[in-house]
Amino acid sequence: MATSQILKGILEGCLLAIIAKGETYGYEMIEKLYTYGFTMVSEGSIYPLLIRMRKEGLVTTSEKVLPSGGPKRKYYSLTTKGKEKLDEFQKRWSEIASSVNRLLKEEDREW
Amino acid sequence: MVISKESQGFLENLTVYLYSSGKREEEIREIVGELEDHLHEAEKHGKRVDDIIGMTPKEYMEQLANEMPFDLKGWLKYLLMIFIGVLAYIVMGDAIRGNLKYSFIECIGYPCVFLFSLLLMAMVLKYTSSRKVSSWKERILCMGVFFIIPMALFLALKFFGRYYNTPIVYIGKMGSIVAIVLSILVFIGLAIWSKEWDSIIIPAIIFLPEIFLEQTTFDKSTKATLSIFLTMSGMGLYVFILFKRNKIQDVD
Repeated sequence: MATSQILKGILEGCLLAIIAKGETYGYEMIEKLYTYGFTMVSEGSIYPLLIRMRKEGLVTTSEKVLPSGGPKRKYYSLTTKGKEKLDEFQKRWSEIASSVNRLLKEEDREW
Repeated sequence: MVISKESQGFLENLTVYLYSSGKREEEIREIVGELEDHLHEAEKHGKRVDDIIGMTPKEYMEQLANEMPFDLKGWLKYLLMIFIGVLAYIVMGDAIRGNLKYSFIECIGYPCVFLFSLLLMAMVLKYTSSRKVSSWKERILCMGVFFIIPMALFLALKFFGRYYNTPIVYIGKMGSIVAIVLSILVFIGLAIWSKEWDSIIIPAIIFLPEIFLEQTTFDKSTKATLSIFLTMSGMGLYVFILFKRNKIQDVD
């Protein structure tokens, strides 16, 4: 439970970072997350989050026909508001990460 | 796009769940399409739908539903359409029997019973679509809520309204003809709106035998028996044709 609560906030920031690299769709986002080691994220859990992010105006979507035919695929791109939120996340995260790292390293030394 | 039966079942259940939770049609189409695309890709890599949602179907459906707003406008539109349709059924039947009078209890009761029945249906659909209910239990539950409970309430209302209350709305012969014509227009309108023939065929099966038998010289009980017999056979035939047609579509 604790992991999932921490993850939710982080996951949004990570999705913003992935979308910032260029227009992308759900399955591709999951593949990228996995290559970075986010295997604790269940694939389906990004969709409720993506719905909320669009509602908050952080991302926009467009549907495109695939060259292979079949139904359209939904692509996400970042809005200016999304970019701002990502910058904020990056700042916050580096603060948190360096504090946590500092603390843990000191504990290591003490032990 | 080919996806497994299991995934397809999940997407169908999700669609029913979101509809009965009053979500917007366009939004439902979008998320279901997106998940279909994802499941298709994931299955190519040997993953199964249970791994992808990572929790129980009910929890996952709830999570998605929580992010989608309640579509009050769309819901009211459907409610009005169905209400007019049901009203046309009631009025048509009574008009044919020359019985177009309604008591106070009926005027208040019909909308109440109607709303209650719809709410009950939405609840059962939400329940059955999000849980793995054993099929016989599911079937009895659906049968009960879809047919028997609303039917029983409507009949009870009709009975009490007729015998324990004086009519406050009374429509004469001219009014009956107008009511029948209006009802027919409603049935045709609903067929055009839904692009399905059902709303014309079902009233025809129910009411045509009665109208036809009214012109004959049979006695009352023969008329009643024949009417029920013809309607039942008509319904049986219609369900059979629908079943056949669906089967052919499935094979395609």
